[in-house]
Amino acid sequence: MSKLIEMINITKDFIQGDDIVHALKETNFSAEEGELIAIIGPSGSGKSTFLTILGGLQTPTTGQVLIGGQPFSKLALKERSKVRFEKIGFILQAANLIPFLSINDQMVLHNRVLRTKPNQERIEELYTRLDIKKLQKKYPNELSGGERQRVAIAKALYHDPVVILADEPTAALDTNRAFEVIKLLAKQTKEQKKATIMVTHDERLIEFCDKVYVIVDGVMSRKK
Amino acid sequence: MFLAWKEIRHSKAKFGLIISVVALVSYLVYFLTSLAYGLASSYTNGVTKWKADEIVLTVDSNNNVMMSFMNNEDYDSIDVQDGKRAKLGLFPAVIKDADDDTKDTREEIYVFGIEENSFIAPKEVITSGLEDNEIIADSGLKELGYAVDDNVRVAGTSLTWKIVAFTEKATYQTAPILYANLATWRELRYGSSSSDSFSAVVVQGTATLSSDTPLQVYSISEFISNLPGYNAQVATFSIMIGFLIVIVAFVLGIFIYVLTIQKTSMFGVMKAQGISNLFIGNSVVAQTIIITGIGVAIGLILTLISGYFLGGFVPFAINPLFYIGITIAFFLFSILGGLFSVRAVLKIDPLKAIG
Repeated sequence: MSKLIEMINITKDFIQGDDIVHALKETNFSAEEGELIAIIGPSGSGKSTFLTILGGLQTPTTGQVLIGGQPFSKLALKERSKVRFEKIGFILQAANLIPFLSINDQMVLHNRVLRTKPNQERIEELYTRLDIKKLQKKYPNELSGGERQRVAIAKALYHDPVVILADEPTAALDTNRAFEVIKLLAKQTKEQKKATIMVTHDERLIEFCDKVYVIVDGVMSRKK
Repeated sequence: MFLAWKEIRHSKAKFGLIISVVALVSYLVYFLTSLAYGLASSYTNGVTKWKADEIVLTVDSNNNVMMSFMNNEDYDSIDVQDGKRAKLGLFPAVIKDADDDTKDTREEIYVFGIEENSFIAPKEVITSGLEDNEIIADSGLKELGYAVDDNVRVAGTSLTWKIVAFTEKATYQTAPILYANLATWRELRYGSSSSDSFSAVVVQGTATLSSDTPLQVYSISEFISNLPGYNAQVATFSIMIGFLIVIVAFVLGIFIYVLTIQKTSMFGVMKAQGISNLFIGNSVVAQTIIITGIGVAIGLILTLISGYFLGGFVPFAINPLFYIGITIAFFLFSILGGLFSVRAVLKIDPLKAIG
């Protein structure tokens, strides 16, 4: 299977006062089609640094990130935004939903930015897959936490990205809801042939993931 | 546009308040402009009615038409090629109704002494004529109870004049004008019609003076701006209106800025997803434009309604050109206010959205 996203010899250093902080020590990582990968570790361990470098929000000190075999982290900031917009789907902690858009409008925001026509078929398909058809006219504040994250997954999948990056997607959910959302995420990752990389400190979710990495003090190691 | 409009539709109460502030201030600005223009017009209607280019006064008058004394010799020394010239006598008076002694009201007016066939005569003169002791009066006098064939007595004199016609928009320094022939005007000014004296020569075209005449040519705009109080009044209103427009821009700018700051985390998430600054900035500016557009439209409608009902009580006059100018100023300044917030959007760090 092909590597959808790849990190080659990445390090990230910060300068803090007179000290250099090694937030991420030399890291190699890749994710393949259909894989749901969890990154766990205590807070401040470098998980977020890892995810933001993967998503192109930060530039690594050394090494590079490839998406679909193409250079990503070496692109200029503006280009990187463009690639990120096309090839990465985000699911964030508090759900990346815009409070004043109905669920239908959330889905087509991507089209609005690109000035293209919405793909109604795709929307219908995702609504069915994630069982959110009945929510389509509602606003985020009218949804429960679980519903919101289901919408966020649909939104992240809508534009057919290569990779999905999830930052604590279950943080606001109780155990049952969290399990439900992660199962859905795992299923969609397989069916839609994406690679999903999820940062979490919730170790209960590990059983649903294909691979698990732990980051401690900037050093990443395979756990499962 | 998409985001901007959706948000306004979603938060109707919040945006309703902001729009109503813009609407009220723009209402004030439009209304004030109409009043200022109405007042300024009532200073100058009688002058603009001439459709003249220049006015000739004596040098000694210091551009005060009331202090200008000219005679036929002066008139002959003014040469107008491809144009017209007309003698004008100008003097203030107070009149009262001569037919009804029970009416104890007096009106301050200006008497314009004119030649019946000159270009500065109101057009009503064609049908009414203008014999000695006859006058054509500003139609404003109709509202004060005067009618055609009424007689008016000039206070402090034994003169009695008969109104033969009314003419529209004939005011000078906010007072109504009575047009009389020069002989009648001289009776008022000098107590006798035997002299050949008058105040000024109004010129259509360009006047050339023969050398060593004690006369001076003024453009009509110079003449108007020298009317007592005119410039001060126009400046006062202009400053008020200008400030109000700037205040609206500030208020709107602050509103939009606060809204933008409130949405920092949302914009951060959008930027993290790769949505460009351009798209977000555009929607902030589009929102400013929508708010201004709706607010200004409401303000304008309120102004027209008020003008319709208050037109008789206050000097309300509509000048579409001013409305267009003010509207453009509103949009320009509020976009500037909106751009201030775009700067804040540029500074939002998408990293904050993660971790």
